Amino acid sequence: MTTLQARRWERRHVIQSLACGSLLLPGIVADLLAEDTSRQSADPLVPRPPHYAPRAKRVIYLFMTGGVSHLESFDPKPKLAADAGQKYNGRTLLGPQFKFAPAGQCGTPVSELFPSIATCADDLCVVRSLTGSHFEHFQATLGVHTGSLTVKRPSIGSWVSYGLGTDNRDLPSFVVLAPHLPYAGTQVWSSDFLPVCHQGTRVAPGDEPIQNLHRRSPTSAVQEMELDLLARFNGRHRQDRPSDPLLTGRIQSFETAFGMQRAMPDVLDLSQESPSTLALYGLEPGSTDGFAWQCLVARRMAERGVRFIELIDTGSSNNWDSHTNMQDHVAKAKNVDQAIAGLLKDLKQRGMLDETLVVWTTEFGRTPHTDGPTGRSHHPYVFSSWLAGGGVRGGIVYGASDDYGYEVAENAVHIHDFHATILHLLGLDHERLTYRHAGRDFRLTDVHGRIVTDIIA
Amino acid sequence: MRASRATARLVCVLTLAWCPSAGPLVAQVTDAAGPAPTAQQLEFFEKHVRPLLITHCYACHSAEADAPETELRLDSRPGILQGGARGAAVVPGEPEKSLLIKAVRYADPLLQMPPSGRLAPREVDVLVEWVRMGAPDPRSEAAQPAAPKQPYTVSAEARQWWSFQPMREPAVPVVQNERWPACEIDRFVLAGLEAHGMTPAPPAEKRVLIRRATFALTGLPPTLEEIDAFVADDATDAFAKAVDRLLASPHYGERWGRRWLDLVRYADTSGCNSDFPIPEAYRYRNYVIDSFNRDKPYDRFLREQLAGDLLAAEGEDSPSEDSNQRRYEQIVATGYLAISRRFSSLAEEFHLTLDDTVDNFGKAILGLTISCARCHAHKFDPIPQEDYYALYGIFQSTTYSFPGTEIYRHTQDLVPLVPAERRHKELLPYLERTAELDARIFATYSHMATLDTGDEKNELRARWQAMQKERDELVKSLPDFPKAYAASEGTPINARLHLKGNPESLGPEIPRGFLQILGGQKLAAGQPASGRRQLAEWITDPQNPLTARVMVNRVWQHHFGRGLVRTPDDFGTRGAPPTHPELLDYLALRFIEDGWSLKALHRRILLSRAWQTACLENADYARRDPDNERLWTFNRRRLEAEEFRDAMLAISGALDRSPGGAHPFKPEWEWRYSQHQPFVDDFATNRRTVYLMQQRIRQQPFLAVFDGADTNAATGVRQVSTTPQQALFLLNSEFAHEQAALLADRLAREAPQSRARLDRAFRLALGRPATGVETDEGLEYIERIEPLLASAGIADRDRSRAAWASYLRVLLSGNEFMFIE
Repeated sequence: MTTLQARRWERRHVIQSLACGSLLLPGIVADLLAEDTSRQSADPLVPRPPHYAPRAKRVIYLFMTGGVSHLESFDPKPKLAADAGQKYNGRTLLGPQFKFAPAGQCGTPVSELFPSIATCADDLCVVRSLTGSHFEHFQATLGVHTGSLTVKRPSIGSWVSYGLGTDNRDLPSFVVLAPHLPYAGTQVWSSDFLPVCHQGTRVAPGDEPIQNLHRRSPTSAVQEMELDLLARFNGRHRQDRPSDPLLTGRIQSFETAFGMQRAMPDVLDLSQESPSTLALYGLEPGSTDGFAWQCLVARRMAERGVRFIELIDTGSSNNWDSHTNMQDHVAKAKNVDQAIAGLLKDLKQRGMLDETLVVWTTEFGRTPHTDGPTGRSHHPYVFSSWLAGGGVRGGIVYGASDDYGYEVAENAVHIHDFHATILHLLGLDHERLTYRHAGRDFRLTDVHGRIVTDIIA
Repeated sequence: MRASRATARLVCVLTLAWCPSAGPLVAQVTDAAGPAPTAQQLEFFEKHVRPLLITHCYACHSAEADAPETELRLDSRPGILQGGARGAAVVPGEPEKSLLIKAVRYADPLLQMPPSGRLAPREVDVLVEWVRMGAPDPRSEAAQPAAPKQPYTVSAEARQWWSFQPMREPAVPVVQNERWPACEIDRFVLAGLEAHGMTPAPPAEKRVLIRRATFALTGLPPTLEEIDAFVADDATDAFAKAVDRLLASPHYGERWGRRWLDLVRYADTSGCNSDFPIPEAYRYRNYVIDSFNRDKPYDRFLREQLAGDLLAAEGEDSPSEDSNQRRYEQIVATGYLAISRRFSSLAEEFHLTLDDTVDNFGKAILGLTISCARCHAHKFDPIPQEDYYALYGIFQSTTYSFPGTEIYRHTQDLVPLVPAERRHKELLPYLERTAELDARIFATYSHMATLDTGDEKNELRARWQAMQKERDELVKSLPDFPKAYAASEGTPINARLHLKGNPESLGPEIPRGFLQILGGQKLAAGQPASGRRQLAEWITDPQNPLTARVMVNRVWQHHFGRGLVRTPDDFGTRGAPPTHPELLDYLALRFIEDGWSLKALHRRILLSRAWQTACLENADYARRDPDNERLWTFNRRRLEAEEFRDAMLAISGALDRSPGGAHPFKPEWEWRYSQHQPFVDDFATNRRTVYLMQQRIRQQPFLAVFDGADTNAATGVRQVSTTPQQALFLLNSEFAHEQAALLADRLAREAPQSRARLDRAFRLALGRPATGVETDEGLEYIERIEPLLASAGIADRDRSRAAWASYLRVLLSGNEFMFIE
């Protein structure tokens, strides 16, 4: 018996014990208990088969806010170093501010900003030719999440939830671990026209990770009394209205909420983790600070069947937006480097990396030329990201930018292509994953998208 | 915003915008004749160039192209040299001047070919080399000159679509059961039922009906007195009187105005990347609520929102002592246009705002997805791209109030709501100073943005910042005067068609006008005005087949849970056809006859027996008519977010029923919002939910959980989702616990005795008395929970309140409270 089932039984006992010796009508209790078996009906989150055999079951989407410089992370540019100080398109070229070294067996160059991630190089599929973003944070952030650079559209996590449903109804199917609001705010994880159950649920470190998660009734015994009374009210009400799915669904939602109220604190309870695991992520015991906390929670959510887990490293300020000085990247990299490497290694040692697609991305790269004295501006023409696990070829580099990292030189991967490939790895055909809205079928990839087959293992 | 390339483009676009007469920057058409190509050159062409063109270009740019969306033809030398709307594709010998090369290099994000993906570098090199050698090309046969584009005409077939047909007075159907119908609506409904051998459900009980009607018209639960009075009233017109009473309530406008605000994606912020506050937006919100309360004729309501400022200037109303107030109201009405969404910080992206206006205008008012014709002819409906830009030009000729952005943090073009005299004497000098300063700030910023890093740039930035501070001081020193976030006349200009929707790729000029399928009226040439005045007339012409149909369908939808047309924002060919087409026309024609009175329409619908049926289940009918399209019974509906919150507040006694005013935003001179630190706030209030401050970058947290309207796009149908987060709100939110506790206090005051207290709770929350079982159960609950509360450490003096609050919160969490029957 799984813990989930066990808990359901526990709940049944509570209901049954409360029923004893009271005015409760036994028929209604039976009705309520029958809910557990019939809960799947007409449920938009029920697990759905993919279009074809998937390579990954879930996604962990690591989003770096503000625009990580491709020139200082995964796309070394010796010619930019050589020509530093020269003018290009009327601007002064700035040489790469951090050193690169070949990493792993594969020798993929990784900058010194990411010494820990470098140790995972053989698992990484670095894409150096992402394009199709926008000059501004807001639109670019929206773009890498929804494929739309202008108006709000469903987020990729919502599409995946819509396409595949979820295995664990006690947790949301799409979780966003975000200590701060990103650019474009909640539009980043909006389900837009998709049913709201596919909307990202923001989980923030701190006292209230999810709105209204904590039981406000003084004790669990009191709350169980309340839920039992509610079941009686609703049961009586439903007697003459047995076939309305909205009524049934709402009754079930309280059961699910009750489950979430217990499952969520459990998933966030890192005291169950060993000191060596904490050390792997670089997390101080008891700390909920920083990306290490987010990464470890992500792994625990992945274990429990959350379909799409997004991690946003910082918010719309104090992020990778290093206009004046590229040295500002150091602190941002330090926040994520060991945590991400820890996540990859932890997933691997638990045998989960093969079925978990880890995506590391950002909204755009940074200009080869200066903005402030030693900083760089926004650069949507070409930027870098990487994927790992879940059916991608590790230890490779795909695509290239030109000598200065100004434009794509070969194998452009448009954001739509990136999305199409992620869906493909999950067994979803981006052209068939559609939703009828406002008179037409919408897709995450609009009318575009090419599956980048070369990066698939 | 420091993206250099973006700002460089910003400057360029604005320069063009300032010179509306500036022609397109097209390359010169080059003479087709040239030196005869050598054999070697031709071989190069055949071996390398022709295959490449065939593979990557012919699908769209040749005589064989399926649906050419462009005039450019690459299947002959004359075609290449003549080019398309942007000019010649190739300047022989000059790769750097050739648009073809520019396009395949993908360097310009706005001109990238082929669109499916960039050519390999080797292929680009081939084309560059070919152009450099003079573009030798044996395909000298003149391309079939692309047939001159035929002016678009709406086909007779397209006109056949039901919603484009004129409204027709239907014959009222004959029914078998003559005793049932109370009005014509009933005859239409009953005829449909009888045709399928179905009979309508019996009438709802009076208690059920008064709860249904009170929520339907005011969004609030009936008070105990209202219920008792209605139940006790045996007169035949008891319900008609109740409906009249509800329609006269100021809460009616709050309820139905909200529906309109859903459609126009109302928000108190702009939606730009910093989500600037719009402190004056509330005036438009209140204008909408007030218009519903006063039963402003719907046609006039529309005219005011599109052209209220012009109506005011024309003095549509007789001049009188309150003519100023009327004038202000009409100016405020154009807030409809001004609240269009803003995007980014860049002036160059204002075209997206105009697109948003056209999109909303189409969906909300006409029930058409006009925006599908932004980039190409509408794929399904008879709307050519020209029609899109005919409307676009009208809005492009309009000045929208500017809410401020990160780059430029001050409002502009707000419309003072003051008498002309005061405006002239007191405000004009100020307005002139700000305009002058604004121009300098803008010029400084634009110049700065083009510069490379260095002292000059730093100096300009310092100057720019200092001038913004100066502007702050100017705003601060200003006498306080009311103003509207509104629209006014701009520079009249015809839009040029945006090729493929790209605003920097301009096609022919399109005269301002109306959709051809709806008449295709054009502004007189040289019309020195935007055309909003005319547009307002065109859409409210009683012959327009859509405006009235769309609105009566919306009202029907809200009363029956679903429209006669199930896709209320899409009456086009992709939408659903009406279930009762004759009834729809009947209602639309009566609506117009009644002077576009919405209250008359409500009365008509609510007084029908069809609306008053009980809410029942019938397995046989459910099989034959699963969506209850034939309306044999009332469709149960869940309370909307506003109703739910307002009802909780009303029942607990905490509801502040006064109308909302302005939100407590910080004064403009303190605004420092940016994309990094956007405006985010909640202004708590116990007023009705329609008065909550709503943002675009971040959904109001309560409304986000309970399917509130989208503040970024027209919401014609609210989603009805059921999520655990909604349940968590009732289980654990401070709001739910607080309202339950306040209700406990209220009941303790009003009904000290426990049984009476329980009964009163049921009447307040559910509109009915408690049954014996429920009373016993409630008493047992209170008795059993008190010891649990005691062991949880709740002090004696608080325990009773806590016990009752616990019980009452459950009552308010139940399905019976949450659903209307």
